[in-house]
Amino acid sequence: MNPPVATPAASEDALVRAAQRGDRAAFGLLYARYARMVHGILLSRVPYSDVDDLVQDVFLQALPRLASLRDVSKFPGWLAAIARNRATDFHRRAKSLDELPTDVPDESAASAPAVPPNSHSRTEAHAALDAILSLPETYRETLILRLVEGMTGPEIAARTGLTHGSVRVNLHRGMQQLRELLGRKAASLTGGEL
Amino acid sequence: MTKRPNDAENEMPRITDYLWDRSGTPDPEIQRLESLLAEFRHVDRTLTLPAEIAAPARSARVQHFSWLPRLAAAAVLLLAVAIPFFLPSTRMPAPLAGPAWNIANIEGHPQIGAQLLSANQSAAKLYVGQTLTTNSSSRASLSENDLGEIQIDPDSRVRLLQSGPHHKRLQLDVGTIHAAIWAPPGQFVVDTPSAIAIDLGCAYTLQVAPDGSGTIRTTLGWVGFHLNGRDSFIPAGAMCSTRPKVGPSTPYFEDANAAFREALHNFDQADPSSDTAATALATVLAQARSRDGLTLWHLLSRTTGPARAQVYARFAALVPPPAGVTREGILQLDPHMLDLYWNALDLGDISTWRYWEQSSDPKSNPPSQLLPKKDLAPKKSQ
Repeated sequence: MNPPVATPAASEDALVRAAQRGDRAAFGLLYARYARMVHGILLSRVPYSDVDDLVQDVFLQALPRLASLRDVSKFPGWLAAIARNRATDFHRRAKSLDELPTDVPDESAASAPAVPPNSHSRTEAHAALDAILSLPETYRETLILRLVEGMTGPEIAARTGLTHGSVRVNLHRGMQQLRELLGRKAASLTGGEL
Repeated sequence: MTKRPNDAENEMPRITDYLWDRSGTPDPEIQRLESLLAEFRHVDRTLTLPAEIAAPARSARVQHFSWLPRLAAAAVLLLAVAIPFFLPSTRMPAPLAGPAWNIANIEGHPQIGAQLLSANQSAAKLYVGQTLTTNSSSRASLSENDLGEIQIDPDSRVRLLQSGPHHKRLQLDVGTIHAAIWAPPGQFVVDTPSAIAIDLGCAYTLQVAPDGSGTIRTTLGWVGFHLNGRDSFIPAGAMCSTRPKVGPSTPYFEDANAAFREALHNFDQADPSSDTAATALATVLAQARSRDGLTLWHLLSRTTGPARAQVYARFAALVPPPAGVTREGILQLDPHMLDLYWNALDLGDISTWRYWEQSSDPKSNPPSQLLPKKDLAPKKSQ
């Protein structure tokens, strides 16, 4: 008899293998471990108000396909890819309600958060998220995982399948650009020169 | 040391401990951002799983690939004859600088030129211009941080053609690859002897037989197959074959019934003006479900005259034409109306494909279509 693997202490690989065999508890633990990552990836691409539902969608898409994942150690990158594709799909479906555009949409503009700024701090939070979303895609995803989801650099690397070096570079360059952007905004509000 | 652009691994900027792992002296600006942005953070919700989970994909895969052993056996036999002819040219010294992809999950002894790789080898890389070959007992995977992962099955030969920031290109001469791509759509292209496969945000399996014919099966997203102005779009769950000098056949969903699939195969193989083609087309139209609008959309541009009118009539009955699409326009293959109709299928936004067409030169054929086979080996100049 195989020992139960769906325990919080189980290794990622063991959980993925168990989930591949149809173990729902194992899949639930994978959800608990990876929901923040999926949430962050989606938040960097789609409106905030749609993110929660899309997180569920991503896991429901992943479940029946999990058995086709050959190398279980690739689960983090595989799941991240599904999340990114789901975000692309979200924009495609939203766009199909409108007229056919003549060009590929500006993703950064489309992904502005739909948060009603009804207080000063919320306005500030909205502005900060807006500033991150205006950064290049690579930086905004890593920065959201770090600043919004509260993951550390090593966690981001482990969860997304990126190398420590790539995460380090994305955090460094992204934070540098974010500081410049927020500094410029503050200067313009206080009448300073850009 | 000269710093290469876009080389994250070698750059390693100095980063505060707090930004990296929240250790060390807290950075007040980062702390303030963390506090502000916390309201957007993920909040645990119960994941509601469906009562029934679809049958594991692996069993479906086995069914779909039941003909693989025969194909593999044929490939092994032909490669056994062909490989000695290729080896001399792959012994050329390969360039060991510039962009490279990581090679991992090595089983057996894949080769880069004459160099044998082994499982315990760390930091193996495939540089632009180099060719990786697997035999019947070896396999490996290629990965690139900004692109994704490509598993290379036994009896395969791939060459890395390009690895720029926005354009990455492989050449699959023979064998099978499984690609899981997270780069933006349109950035990853695979040349085969009979078509170019353009990733449009997806995961797929691409096979090339020793005679240059190929098959693609998409499991996530969609893929474009292109040759000589002939395009096929293959969404998840669909497949498409391709033949040298002919290009992509008509794609179809693999869950279509056997009569539909057989008739479509006959149609693709037949002279379009023959009775065989007319009979096959009649069967395809009679057997089509609304989901097979995928196939019927492609048949619009692969038929002429009365046959196209028949296809349109059936297609319109199964998938009502969206606003802005008219019968006359479709029968004249109006590009804008065809695009609108494709989008009505909800299989992938065709503007992604149009964007790729504009940003590349789709009229160009895979190099293997332009060069004699002996010229496929790596060149010193690359």
